[in-house]
Amino acid sequence: MQEKQKQLEYERLVLVYSDDLFRYALWRCRDKSMAEDLVQETCMRAWKSLDKLRDISSSKAWLMTILRNEHARLYARYRPEMVDMELDTVSLKDANNDTSPEAFALKQALKELAEEYREPLLLQVIGGLSCEEIAGVCNISKSATMTRLFRAKQKLREVLRPDEGQVDA
Amino acid sequence: MNCKEFEFEYIAAPDEIAGDACEHLQACAECQTFVEQQAAFEAQLAAVIQCDVPDGFRHSVRKHVVNHQPSFWTMPKTAIAVAASLVMAVGLVTFNKGQFNGQSFPLDRLVVEHVEHDGEHSMLASHQLNKQQLAKVSQQFGVRVNLQKGITFAEKCPIGDSYGLHMVYKYNGQQITVIYMPELSPKTFIQFNYAGLRGWIKPLEKGSVAVLGRQAIDIPSIDFADEFIEWL
Repeated sequence: MQEKQKQLEYERLVLVYSDDLFRYALWRCRDKSMAEDLVQETCMRAWKSLDKLRDISSSKAWLMTILRNEHARLYARYRPEMVDMELDTVSLKDANNDTSPEAFALKQALKELAEEYREPLLLQVIGGLSCEEIAGVCNISKSATMTRLFRAKQKLREVLRPDEGQVDA
Repeated sequence: MNCKEFEFEYIAAPDEIAGDACEHLQACAECQTFVEQQAAFEAQLAAVIQCDVPDGFRHSVRKHVVNHQPSFWTMPKTAIAVAASLVMAVGLVTFNKGQFNGQSFPLDRLVVEHVEHDGEHSMLASHQLNKQQLAKVSQQFGVRVNLQKGITFAEKCPIGDSYGLHMVYKYNGQQITVIYMPELSPKTFIQFNYAGLRGWIKPLEKGSVAVLGRQAIDIPSIDFADEFIEWL
């Protein structure tokens, strides 16, 4: 890739996806400054390996994968108090966000959701990734991805409507 | 496909419903009701998950990378400068020496390259922006855009080593591209006509504005530059 073209492509990736990367990072770290650092590190890594990105249409999934790996690398051993941090303190309390009891219950439920269920859900909602792309990022099969998404949403829906009948997976 | 199977597929991936599932949905009133309810839940879920991003975050990410990546922004500049010199020498672009400050590439070349890179869609109408949306984007550049009607795209885009406000504007019934570049300015007015694009770039009080379109499109006169924005 020519240097100038590479630079333009890279800047475009940063411009287009940095907001979503931040949201994804925030849900992973639950700390605003850690999330910012994580996105910056992700972008640095992305620049270094931009030549490996063959298909531009998969760039979002590619960046999400880098972020996920960077998070594991940087923070796998670092599990501070943030584990118990209220989600409302991590910028999810902004004016534009829903502050209804239902929204609060959903946030809590998301926080308590097992990582294996939350991860595909975040990638779908924040990243807009397809099941196939999520499967690639999480290194699981497409059918496992669909099952996890289904169960995650069912669990969250139960929080809002506990009396509602369940659909079997 | 039965209702249970449809519900599973729809809950798991509502945006990927196709084939059998689509056919089932069209024929099943119960599933149509289910889809409406599930869509409301999806919207609620998205609202909870999609948190706000700090102001200027994109800019800070870019700045961080610029400051920490010497092989990206420093060393290649020499190569770019040499390449630009060669380009000038063979006369492929019209570039008057000294007309342009702070860039290794002539500004018209950067603009054309940006548009080519973004592709055809970046020159087409996408959706009509309302006053608030336009104000939100243009405020990032410290300007107010006076073309409230007819702007169908407005986005902060990289131009060279800085950012520009890239807009698509309906002029005489056709879409033209207008790019305000606060940090880049030629010393004199530039006209260009190559790579299937024609237009001009005019220096302003702060930065410059590029107006361009496909060759067959009517481009406004230079006075347009004095009317389209004002500084906040």
